[in-house]
Amino acid sequence: MKKTLLVKPMAKVPPLTISPSSTASSGWVQSPLPKSLPVSSLPALTIRRWLFCVGGAFLLAVVALIVCLGFGTEPISFSRIWSILVGTILGTESIRVGTDPTTVILLQVRLPRLILAFFVGGSLAMVGVALQALLRNPLADPFIIGISSGAALGAAIALLFGVGISVWTISALPVCAFAGALLALLIMYRISSVGYGFSIYTLLLAGVVLNAIFSAFIMFLTSVADPNRAFGMYAWLMGSLTGPDVSTLGLLAVYLGIGLMVLATQAQSLNLLTLGEETARSLGVEVERVKKLVFIAAALLTGAVVSFSGIIGFVGLIVPHAVRLVLSADHRLLLPAAGFVGGMFLMVADTLARTVLSPSEFPVGVVTALVGGPVFLYLLTTRNIRAGMG
Amino acid sequence: MDLGQLLSGPAYGLQDVTFGYGSRFRDTSDVVLKDLTCSIDSGKILGILGPNGSGKSTLLKILARVLRPRSGMIELFGNPLSRLSQADVARQVALVPQETLQIFPFTLAEMVLMGRFPHHQGYGGWHWEDADDWQIAHQAMEDLDVLHLGARLVTDVSGGERQRAVIARALTQEPQVLLLDEPTAFLDLHHQLDIARILRRLNRERGLTVILVSHDLNLASQYCDQLMLLHLGHIVEVGSPRDVLRPDLLESIYGCQVLVDRHPQSGLPRVSLPV
Repeated sequence: MKKTLLVKPMAKVPPLTISPSSTASSGWVQSPLPKSLPVSSLPALTIRRWLFCVGGAFLLAVVALIVCLGFGTEPISFSRIWSILVGTILGTESIRVGTDPTTVILLQVRLPRLILAFFVGGSLAMVGVALQALLRNPLADPFIIGISSGAALGAAIALLFGVGISVWTISALPVCAFAGALLALLIMYRISSVGYGFSIYTLLLAGVVLNAIFSAFIMFLTSVADPNRAFGMYAWLMGSLTGPDVSTLGLLAVYLGIGLMVLATQAQSLNLLTLGEETARSLGVEVERVKKLVFIAAALLTGAVVSFSGIIGFVGLIVPHAVRLVLSADHRLLLPAAGFVGGMFLMVADTLARTVLSPSEFPVGVVTALVGGPVFLYLLTTRNIRAGMG
Repeated sequence: MDLGQLLSGPAYGLQDVTFGYGSRFRDTSDVVLKDLTCSIDSGKILGILGPNGSGKSTLLKILARVLRPRSGMIELFGNPLSRLSQADVARQVALVPQETLQIFPFTLAEMVLMGRFPHHQGYGGWHWEDADDWQIAHQAMEDLDVLHLGARLVTDVSGGERQRAVIARALTQEPQVLLLDEPTAFLDLHHQLDIARILRRLNRERGLTVILVSHDLNLASQYCDQLMLLHLGHIVEVGSPRDVLRPDLLESIYGCQVLVDRHPQSGLPRVSLPV
């Protein structure tokens, strides 16, 4: 109500001048700008701000990595971490027989696990950002709308029917997970494009049902499978970041690199898609092409992440929301920043999961759900989301 | 393209354009526009009028290439619309939709700058706005009286402020044709007048072709050079406000009695409803 009390000076229609040489290619000539308001005062993203924010997020992620490395059953001091890391980078320290066990723990257990957490968290956050823009829905998250469970079903089929046991172990699993994620996305998109009055609640309900269907298939598969294998499946489904080796991380990095590159190039198109498909089209976006690219990239990322770490929920929901509030809704900044913040978030969550009840640990999905669930409920009650119900 | 050349030929040529919303699930009973043939002059203000469901907004979206016609041919400044890319069209034609829903916290300035998108192609859609882009957006926001709102979030401003920002975004595209769907629907009297005057100035001083859909017959009468009356997907009448706003014609289309007299200042037709 404060707004209505403001006395705004009567708006004068500003003179639109046109110079005699108005046959310029654009057809228009701008009148000179008033000195009082420099052009750079427009509150929008600049390269400088982008570099500052992305650089800051990167530094924060490095700090978070170093801090998280110190926690565990055996605490390691920061100076020790520093000297080991610097030594490794410079090549003066390497692992051989007789190396100090601290170095082995740090470089072969904690570091790969934290890097996996960073990759997984960052990818999930960026997929969340992309899906939210595409579906114009701030509650879209690969876990909530059933994309993760689609990928999990694909991966479960690969695991239980032995596709994964062959020489192909490394490649078949992500490919099946990718197929599952793509199937889930296509179903979701088909539902979301039926009719004009597609609302936030329809999407959530469809996600719940899709999740239920995929989960039923997975439960069926695990119940007919050999109990030992089924137990491993359950542990994996709950989300786990244990035991990656360097080749696993390298392979994951390749999948993620491709997906993230595709998403990054579409950042500006995603900005325009938040205005609605028709408006985006009228502003020059080839909407169908962008949608296809983003769907494939999102399925690739989700498939890769799920096949390596199981289902970890809510990262794609809370991280984009927080980054949007603090930094910007502009996807050129939002995508990379959410990537770094999501990576940091999952590193911290995983560190909590393995230290709180040390020496035993619980699935990292427990931490993300305990943080993300309440945030989701809060979001569901906020004004902007209700306004966007359509 | 040369301005003089643009002013000479028609902006749009339509030949037997037919459109329906349904696809394979439905037959031809859902056709919204039927065999539309017309030519739209450049450098003029055209008002498209008609009762609800007459196909006005659909026609506007087809002109902006947001929707593709089922059959028929459309030419934009002599080029077939179907052969132009989306960005080609967006550099020449800007659309101001009826309403803008935004759920993400973009600032008004960010939304206006999105109008520069069609001018930056070739990096897969990724680009940074340069000084020219900022200046064009700045000027458009000043023209539409939203410069002081630049830092406000699109989600937090009033409907009228948002509508003016959307028009500023359309001008930021630097179009030769501006399409507007009910541009004054959410505006108070003061800003209705402002928008109408700005559109007229853009038209007179920069040769901008303006095509607007409106339910406000009086605004259309005062500010449009030509009116097109649509009914059930057909063009009923095209001509000057005096030719189109005839009581007998309006009564037959709208199905109710109307009074038409003269505006005291301009002498143009003024439409009112009986008591």
